[in-house]
Amino acid sequence: MKATETIRADEDSGGVERSAKIETRIETRIETRIETRIETRIESQIERILAAEDELIPTSGFLASVMERIQEEAAAPPPIPFPWKRALPGALLAAGTAGWGAVELMQSGSLKLDLAARNSFTLAMLHPSAALVSSAESAGWVALALGASLLSWLLARRLAGLGGPL
Amino acid sequence: MNALISAEADLADVASVLAGDVRAFEGIVRRWQGPLVNMAWRYCRDRGRAEEMAQEAFIRAWRGLSHWRRESSFSTWLFALAANVYRSELKRIPTETLPLDAAPEPCGAATQHCESEKRERYDGVRRAVMALPLRYREPVILYYFQEMDLAAAARTMGLPEGTLKARLSRARALLRQRFPHLQEMKDEHDPLEYSTLETGKEATN
Repeated sequence: MKATETIRADEDSGGVERSAKIETRIETRIETRIETRIETRIESQIERILAAEDELIPTSGFLASVMERIQEEAAAPPPIPFPWKRALPGALLAAGTAGWGAVELMQSGSLKLDLAARNSFTLAMLHPSAALVSSAESAGWVALALGASLLSWLLARRLAGLGGPL
Repeated sequence: MNALISAEADLADVASVLAGDVRAFEGIVRRWQGPLVNMAWRYCRDRGRAEEMAQEAFIRAWRGLSHWRRESSFSTWLFALAANVYRSELKRIPTETLPLDAAPEPCGAATQHCESEKRERYDGVRRAVMALPLRYREPVILYYFQEMDLAAAARTMGLPEGTLKARLSRARALLRQRFPHLQEMKDEHDPLEYSTLETGKEATN
């Protein structure tokens, strides 16, 4: 008898729990549904407001002013492209000179380091005639300056389209 | 049908311009001045500036006409180009906008029938759109104001559709946060009444 009552009580409490769970689930579902519908409603309000905007009509002079600018652009000479073909020899020459200068600098740097490592006697042996070396150096610089001037003149003529041996 | 005619007219005008007839560009400007000026206006909310921006877009279009590869329609290409121009213009000189929180909250249901109140509410939402960051504002402008579909708006912005959808959703969320009371506003065109929600809840209970 007692056992039957216990089973019945268990069944009752199980039933209550189950119905409570179902109720909670239904409530959650309803709340979610309501939230979704509210969100949809807000979105549809926003959409309506954004879509209901009046059209702006361009001013009467707009078309004319655009076409005026277009005509100006069309009448203007096309931009002169950079003369890569003509500039190429000059660029190569400049790159060569820069490279040569860099090599010379590195060599003189290593020579200085080398000389510093040796004694003064070796230094004297490397420069047997200071006057000769000095005059040769001066002549070299003058020749280099003249060559650079000649090259820049020729390059300028070539870039200007006057022709030339380059 | 109109779109078809416009597309054909665009093609014919583009061909003429590319053949050297500058005046044929007038047809293009005539057809697209309205949409481009309106689009610019929605980016900056300044009429004078909108026309300047639209003019710049037309000039860029004229310069770049030979680069249009006809993979997309002329209008898509033109809108994408215009969007780029407007975006860079706004980055160069940003518009003066209120922060999103400062946009006034639209009035409630009790006063909504009044026309001026309604206008105020609409203006409030539009101001709030202007206060959105550009990455969220632009999809809203193209999708709602310009009434483009998702695919067209995505093509115009050069974004995948998924990204555009996500940005739109974020923009709507920001607006929803700003205007929580929009749900209470009754609208004569909206079949979904708030009361039905309540009734539905009670009935289900």
